[in-house]
Amino acid sequence: MDVRKLAIQQLKTVLDPELGINVVDLGLIYDLKIEDGHINVLMTLTTPGCPLHDSIARGVKRALEQIDGIRDVRVQVTWNPPWTPERMSEEALRQLGHFS
Amino acid sequence: MSNVFPTRTGTETDVRLPFSFIMFAVLAFAASQLMLLGAIPSLSSGAFRLPFVWAAAHLALLGFALMTAMGAMYQLVPVAFLTPIWSERLGFWQFAVTAAGIVAFAVSLAAAPNRAFLPSLLLLLGIILFVWQMAMTLRKQETKNVMTLFVATSLLFLLLTAAAGGLLAFHFFAAKGANSHEVVFGLHVLFGLCGWFTLLIIGFSYKMAPMFSLAHGFSLRPARYVYALYISGIAVAFASLFLRSHAWLAAGAALLMSGFVVFVWHIRAILQKRMKKTLDRPFRFSLSAIVIGLALHVAAFAAIVVGSGRLLGIIVYLFIVGWILFSIIGYLLKIVPFLWWTHRYSEKVGQQNVPTLKQMMNERAVTVQCRLWLIALALAAVALAVASVPLFAITQVLLAGLSVAFAGTILTVFRK
Repeated sequence: MDVRKLAIQQLKTVLDPELGINVVDLGLIYDLKIEDGHINVLMTLTTPGCPLHDSIARGVKRALEQIDGIRDVRVQVTWNPPWTPERMSEEALRQLGHFS
Repeated sequence: MSNVFPTRTGTETDVRLPFSFIMFAVLAFAASQLMLLGAIPSLSSGAFRLPFVWAAAHLALLGFALMTAMGAMYQLVPVAFLTPIWSERLGFWQFAVTAAGIVAFAVSLAAAPNRAFLPSLLLLLGIILFVWQMAMTLRKQETKNVMTLFVATSLLFLLLTAAAGGLLAFHFFAAKGANSHEVVFGLHVLFGLCGWFTLLIIGFSYKMAPMFSLAHGFSLRPARYVYALYISGIAVAFASLFLRSHAWLAAGAALLMSGFVVFVWHIRAILQKRMKKTLDRPFRFSLSAIVIGLALHVAAFAAIVVGSGRLLGIIVYLFIVGWILFSIIGYLLKIVPFLWWTHRYSEKVGQQNVPTLKQMMNERAVTVQCRLWLIALALAAVALAVASVPLFAITQVLLAGLSVAFAGTILTVFRK
C-alpha cells in the first residue's frame, strides 16, 4: 500500500472523542504532503477554542509517526479557511443522525 | 495560522486544579441535600429563613454551584478565551482558602449565625482571589467578545454578592443594621442569582450550546440584546430595593424576563443550525434547565405583579434548583468525562483505541437520573404550592437520593 493510503488509514483512527467521528470524515484535514519520510499536515478543528485542540492535533502526529519509514511529522492547525459542515463526508453526516 | 510545534496551545490547565473544585462540589452537594432532609417541615410551610436552611442552601450554592463554576472556569476560560490561567499556583491556594471558608461558613450558619462573620471573611478572601485570578486571565485575551462581557460582568456580581453576604453576616455578628437588613438581603439574592449565576450560565451557554450541538452559521448578535435587557433588569430591580418601589421591582422583573426570553429564542435559533441531530442526554438536561429558567422568570414577574411574597419565595427555591443547579449538573456531566478523558487518554490518541466521551459514563444511569431530577422538581413545585409536608418530604428524600446517585455517577467516571 502506498504511503498516502497508509497515512489516511492511520488518520482515520484519530477520532474526535466528543462526536466519535474520525478527523478525515469530519473534513478536518486540509492538506497532506508526503516527501522523503516527512509528512506535513495542514488541518483545522470544528471550532476555534475547541477544548480538544491539543489532544486531536497531537493524536494526528502520533498516528502518522506509526507508519514505517516516516521520520518526521509536522502538524499545522489553521483557522483559515474555517471549517464548515460541508466538508464532512456522508459517513460523518450519517453518524450525526442525518439521512435517518 | 498557528503552528503546533510543539503541539500544545499553552492554554491547557493542570487537570488537578478543576478536579479539586469539582470533587469538593459533588460531595458538598450530597451533604447539602442530606441536611435539607432535616428541614422538611419548615421548608414545606414556606419558612426558608432559618439557620439550618441557610447552612444547607449555602452549602448547595457555595459548596456545589460556586465551586463547580470556579472549577469549570479554570478549565473552560483558557479554551474558550484562548488564554492560559494567570497563575495555577494561586489557583490551588484559592481552592484551599475557598473550601475552608465554605465549610467554616456553613457550619457557623447552622450552629451560631451570629458567629458567621469571621468565616465569611475567609470565604470572601477566596472569592477575591478567584476574581483577581480570572480578571488577570481575561485581561490577556487578545480579542474580547460578547462572552467576555457576560463572564466579566458575572465576576463583578460575584464580588458584590459576596460583599452583600459579608454585610449580612456582620449584621448578625454586631447585632446592627436591622433597618437595612431587608435591602441588603434583597441585593444578595438579586446579585447572586441573576448577576452572578445567570449571567455566567448564559455566557458559557453561548460556547457550550454550539460546541455540543455542532452548530454553525448562526449570529451572536442577539446576545448583545440579551445582555442589555438583563443588565437593565438587574439595575432597575437594584434601584427598586432602595426606593422600596413595587412598580420599579415589577419593571425590573419584566426586563429580566424579556432578556431571558430573547436568550431562549437565541439558543433555539442556534440549535436550529446544528449538525448533530441527536443531542446527548446531559446537554439536553441543561437545555431543560433553560426552559425551566424561562418559566420561572415569567412566574417571578407574575408573583411580583400580584404581590405574593410567599409565591416569590417558592420561585426563588425552584430557580436555585431548577435553573442554576440543573444547568450546572447538566454541564458537569459533560465536563467531568472530558477532564478525565484528557487526563487518562489524551496522550494515547493516535497510538491505540481510546473511548469516546460518551463511553466515559453510564448513559442509561444518566438518563434515568435526569428524568428523576425533573420529576423531583415538579413534585417540589406542587408540594410547596399546596404546602404539603408529606409530599415535600418525599420530594426531598428523592432529591437527597439523587444527589448521592449523582456523586456516584461522577465518581464512576474515574474508573474508566
